[in-house]
Amino acid sequence: MKALVRLAWRNVWRYRRRTVLLVLVVAYAVFSIIFFWGVNDGIIASVQTTQARVVAAPVLVTTAAYRDDPDPEHALPDLSVAAVLERAQHVRAAAMRLEFPALIRSAYRAQSVLARGVQPAEEQAVNAIPTHIVEGRMLRAPGELVLGRGLAERIVVRVGERAVLDTASLSGPQAAGLVVVGLAATGVPIVDDRAVLLHLDDARRLTGVSTATSIALDVPRGQEDAAARAVQPLLPGGLHVSGLSEILGAMKSAMEARRASSLPIALIFAIIAAAAVTSTAVVNVIERTREFGVMAALGLAPARVARLVVIEVVFTTAIGWAAGLVAGYAVVITLANVNAIGALVSSYVGAFANLAFGDQIYTAVRPAYAVYATMTVAIATLLALLIPARRIRSLQPAQAMRIE
Amino acid sequence: MRILSFLLLVTAAAAAAAPSAADPQAVLRAIEDNRRGIAARATLTMTVERPDRRTEYVMAIWTDGEDRGLVHVRAPARDAGQAFLRDGDNLWIYNPRLRRTLRLPPSGRSESFLGSDISYSDLSGRDAEHDYTPRVTGDDGTTIVLELLPKPGAPTPYGKVVVRAQSRTYVPLEWLLYDQRDQAVKRITFSAHMRVEQRQFPTRTVVEDLLRAGHRTTVVYTEPRFGPVPDACFTQRALEDGC
Repeated sequence: MKALVRLAWRNVWRYRRRTVLLVLVVAYAVFSIIFFWGVNDGIIASVQTTQARVVAAPVLVTTAAYRDDPDPEHALPDLSVAAVLERAQHVRAAAMRLEFPALIRSAYRAQSVLARGVQPAEEQAVNAIPTHIVEGRMLRAPGELVLGRGLAERIVVRVGERAVLDTASLSGPQAAGLVVVGLAATGVPIVDDRAVLLHLDDARRLTGVSTATSIALDVPRGQEDAAARAVQPLLPGGLHVSGLSEILGAMKSAMEARRASSLPIALIFAIIAAAAVTSTAVVNVIERTREFGVMAALGLAPARVARLVVIEVVFTTAIGWAAGLVAGYAVVITLANVNAIGALVSSYVGAFANLAFGDQIYTAVRPAYAVYATMTVAIATLLALLIPARRIRSLQPAQAMRIE
Repeated sequence: MRILSFLLLVTAAAAAAAPSAADPQAVLRAIEDNRRGIAARATLTMTVERPDRRTEYVMAIWTDGEDRGLVHVRAPARDAGQAFLRDGDNLWIYNPRLRRTLRLPPSGRSESFLGSDISYSDLSGRDAEHDYTPRVTGDDGTTIVLELLPKPGAPTPYGKVVVRAQSRTYVPLEWLLYDQRDQAVKRITFSAHMRVEQRQFPTRTVVEDLLRAGHRTTVVYTEPRFGPVPDACFTQRALEDGC
């Protein structure tokens, strides 16, 4: 057996061209599977991150009535719960918000928006919009506005100019002229085209609500639903906490459907990869039929020749598998830290505006991808060995040596 | 001494009747009083001009001269039956096809009225006095010019408004609205003034969009009947059935 292994290893390097070809095919198959899942899961994670950090919040506390009907009249009854939340497990920061439908207008145009009254300092801990201000600055005091850059362009208003917010309040219609102090560009169309941030005090004055419609919580990434479960028992009756899964709502189902729809594609992908590995291995063996005939004529039993071929194919696919694994993980790890995919697809972002699809897309990196790739290569190798092994076992040396 | 007392009395009475040019707020109020007229009912013809079309609306209007107004559209047939009621900050629209009254969100106040260059807020109300700080910038004895600058936090998107009116009588002649980049964006011209009690009410108003050539709206009051309008005219029932 030892001699067979040594001979097989020597054969692997003796037929360098064939070996390189098979290694490349296997490596490519492994690389493709890792890259496919890395990008696929990365896009889903990007949507979740965008929703949690840019569009809404990782965790939101509201009244149960507000969850069902997001109207300012269903605001929190009081704010005593805020102190409790800040001490809750997983919670790193809490920020009060007062959201209300409004019309924003300039001297030229008007647009309906969902305005968000915020505590300027606290909001920066729970939301990324303040860190995406590309012109001007974040809110500091009442009387100020931060707008999404797309919205500002649409209603033709610049930093330093006044825009008017009109809204219905509990005490009747209200309006206020507020000075635009900052423009945000997050790369998420539904934010850049609609975001209106104003000071919580202004929002309270406009709506007549003295508390807030929600308290946004910052929790570690991936802990959103666990934090929501930990916070719920601390809340008095009538209040509800929504984790990221609930905030995503229908979008979560859409993402799950997207991942499920990826499975057949991944399967087809794996079959094609396996077929490429199998066909390359089979052709390699068929091309060497004469050589195997000579070996058999010299006294090597066909079963041992078949074993030799199996060891050769295992060596070659193992090298390809290792190379593909290294290359695949190297690329997905790099793309998990460099926003190359986001930059590439940024021109198509608008088409996915409703999915909160930002221009920051990083690949996911999971050990499971290695398992998917290994299983594919293993199945392909098995298939690749079945046909040649059977063929070699029934080999007639005289006949085989006549094959050109 | 008696003559001096009489002259002082006359001077004081005159000062009470016509605001001093030194008090821009009083001048603005006098101009607004003239512009709004007094409580009245009238037929209003509104012509909306666009580069590719021209539409004429005929409406019946009731106003208390302050912030209540009711409008019933009579023509064209396509829009006849529509009605609009403003009571302070509240706006309602009656749609005859749906036979329903809809309350407009407050934002609707700044929306275009029947696709014209006039907003619902222009139909009644005294926003200028609340939202702007006036300053007299010129008075040549014939025309007085006021510059209105928005008060801090005022719900107006304009950078300033330049108001021209006749000196002494404060009959409004023109409002020029500027954006915050000092570019004139809208011109409102008042003419064909009619004397009603102590006021000079403009019966013809032209609103021009200075940023879009060919966008102009002309409003002409005909058959005005001045005098108190019953409160019942400013109710939702009147909105649906007329006054």
